[in-house]
Amino acid sequence: MTWSAAIGRRVAPLLACVGLLAAWQVAALALKNDGFPTAFEAMRAVPAILGDKEALINILASLRRMTIGFAAAVAVSIPLGLLMGRSRAVAAFFNPLLMVIYPVPKAALMPIIMLWLGVGDIAKTLVIFLGVSLPVIYHSFEGAKAVEEKMLWSGAAMGLSSVQRLVRIVLPAAMPEILTGCRTGLVLALITMITSEMIARQSGAGNILFNALDMGQYDTVFAMIIIVGAMGIGLDAAFEKVRARLVRWSEPQFDIPLSFS
Amino acid sequence: MKVLPSRSSEIMAQVPAQQPATAMIEIDRVSQIFQTSARKDHLALSDISLAIEEGAFVSILGPSGCGKSTLLYIVGGFVSPTSGSAKMKGKTITAPGPDRGPVFQEFALFPWKTVLGNVMYGPRQQGVRATEAEAQSRALIEMVGLKGYENFFPKELSGGMKQRVALARTLAYHPEVLLMDEPFGALDAHTRTRLQNDLLNIWERDRKTVLFVTHSVDEAVFLSDKVVMMSRSPGRIRQVIDIDLPRPRRRTELLLDPRYQKYVVDIERMFDDSDEAGANA
Amino acid sequence: MKSRALSMDVLLGLLPIALLIALWQGLVSFGVAPVALLPPPGFVFTRLLQQLATAGFQQEIIATLFRLFAGFLIAVALGVGIGMVAAASPAINRVVRPLVRVLAPLPKVALYPALLLLLGFSHESKIALVAADALFPILLSTYYGASTVEQKLIWSAMAAGTPRREILLKVVLPAAMPSILTGCRIGLVISCIVVFLAEMITSTDGLGHVLITAARTFQAVDMFVPLITISLLGLILNALLQAARSYLLRGFPEA
Repeated sequence: MTWSAAIGRRVAPLLACVGLLAAWQVAALALKNDGFPTAFEAMRAVPAILGDKEALINILASLRRMTIGFAAAVAVSIPLGLLMGRSRAVAAFFNPLLMVIYPVPKAALMPIIMLWLGVGDIAKTLVIFLGVSLPVIYHSFEGAKAVEEKMLWSGAAMGLSSVQRLVRIVLPAAMPEILTGCRTGLVLALITMITSEMIARQSGAGNILFNALDMGQYDTVFAMIIIVGAMGIGLDAAFEKVRARLVRWSEPQFDIPLSFS
Repeated sequence: MKVLPSRSSEIMAQVPAQQPATAMIEIDRVSQIFQTSARKDHLALSDISLAIEEGAFVSILGPSGCGKSTLLYIVGGFVSPTSGSAKMKGKTITAPGPDRGPVFQEFALFPWKTVLGNVMYGPRQQGVRATEAEAQSRALIEMVGLKGYENFFPKELSGGMKQRVALARTLAYHPEVLLMDEPFGALDAHTRTRLQNDLLNIWERDRKTVLFVTHSVDEAVFLSDKVVMMSRSPGRIRQVIDIDLPRPRRRTELLLDPRYQKYVVDIERMFDDSDEAGANA
Repeated sequence: MKSRALSMDVLLGLLPIALLIALWQGLVSFGVAPVALLPPPGFVFTRLLQQLATAGFQQEIIATLFRLFAGFLIAVALGVGIGMVAAASPAINRVVRPLVRVLAPLPKVALYPALLLLLGFSHESKIALVAADALFPILLSTYYGASTVEQKLIWSAMAAGTPRREILLKVVLPAAMPSILTGCRIGLVISCIVVFLAEMITSTDGLGHVLITAARTFQAVDMFVPLITISLLGLILNALLQAARSYLLRGFPEA
């Protein structure tokens, strides 16, 4: 009973992938559009991209920037979010600023940042950093705010200093929320990375996509979509594994990402 | 029923004694098994049979986990039994219906509707015209003592007031049986006493059939004609006790009445005995 | 007492924004950043006000708003519909769940080239991208809200004589409303962001296009103007949704 359910949970996403590809294949065959190759044709172009040394270097460089931007954002945002959650003054100080920044598309800052810092790695990493920060701050803030006051009183009674309480009580108690934020941030890092590369058109996965589009290499366009899509799904699945392990004690969560930005 | 006693006996006389004093609710060898984990089944109710006559106030009394609420949900048609059946007026219960009105411990009021909106929901659902439903609902709200609160939202009311609204909402669609699932369990002692008194006063008006689930011995004895004692794991009926106390009952008089005291003490002793037996096992 | 604490909070909140503008002004005044790269704030805000008054700029705003709303509304209709049905029917749930599991973390912007090829370079592809991005937060929070509706609320309605098929509309939808509106709020911000990005990547009008045109000609002032405009639009739309929310959820505790 549970066995088959567990297998079903594993296999269902794979079946969904196969189903989506099949739907694509049928749609492409039915439409007979030059700009819409079949799933099979697109998949056939994937090894060609991954085998091309320059393309591979480009993609790996994208991933490196993404990792650095993500790590830096998490390192800054979690402490900030936790402080905001536990101190009314800190929250009042930062909240309006964050509200103003929230609806600004971070990747749209790319042209301005490029103006100041050039087109190098720093500009692109900075944009990713900005994109990841907000959801992580927000979720850490919510998580820290929801920590029960009496838990902190117990900690204070045991002689923990305020810094110790933040690290040893608030941080673990808010961990499920924080990880939700990190998961959102991870997907957002990928999105920001691709978008900024699409806008800057210098290098990277996003650039390959649009170069191929401009040159009419539609197989490559769709093959890149498959690659980027697989990166998103793969990163999310990997993170979910880590998350489930880290917060085994918490209520079982949905196995699909709940919030987004 | 109370208003026209002679008429109803006439009708009874005309109909040949086909079903002499049929039970309003008949629970017939009901068992309920829940799957707690992959390989473990939990026998929540084991072979329960019980008949409830029309107009009777019956309490189901037992420790938590004895399946008393589950039994109520089966009568409500919210849960279907693993085996056996529950019948209402001879018809097997398969789904919830407006002939059986629940009142839950959690109130379960619609948060997006006002007090009036909540009470009007049932009549409107029954196809009563809006103006008429509103007039009826206002009268009911007054009856449960909440006149002036018609346009309040549930969140603006105290727990006791919320339960009054829940009672009015259920009474509004004229169920033949009231199913009360520890309705006063979430209230403080003072509010609970007041609501018990008010419930009895309202009940005295038309003496609807009531099935009342509780874990409080005083409450069961004070309110009921009959107390069904249940024991746990598996949930079984231990004993059914008729409470032979005069009505209308007044709490202050009853507390001094040795008959009332004896019922309470006897029932508590029986539970103590079974607890000791359980502890020794 | 409470209002005093509140106004203190407001002052405290305005402080970092004021500091940021002061720093910005300082950088220009002390010649750290050349005016060509970082125009002074006063200059930028005057330019913003000038632009807001011109018909041309208003046209760009309208183009952006049209795509934003079209995409957002499609996302709301699909997200709430699918989310409710997936919560109500185990059979549909078994199909929707794995699909969402796969599609939600997929970076939708990567689909943009495909949408361009399929739907053309006009409104449709941008609206489709906005809808695709805003869909999942709305769908997921609807699903979450609908599947956690208190059982006894449904039982109460059923006992009052509500037929099974009406329960979804009469009980589950209003009971899930807080969660649905949270999803809509996230979806709205995403719509703002995505419509702007889509216009930056390829477009002939809209606020994103204004930014790209300015970037090509190195007009730093005109690069700030559309960014501030989209931020303001986001704040206004968020405030409107917040107002709708506090009306719709007036009966709910802690809305």
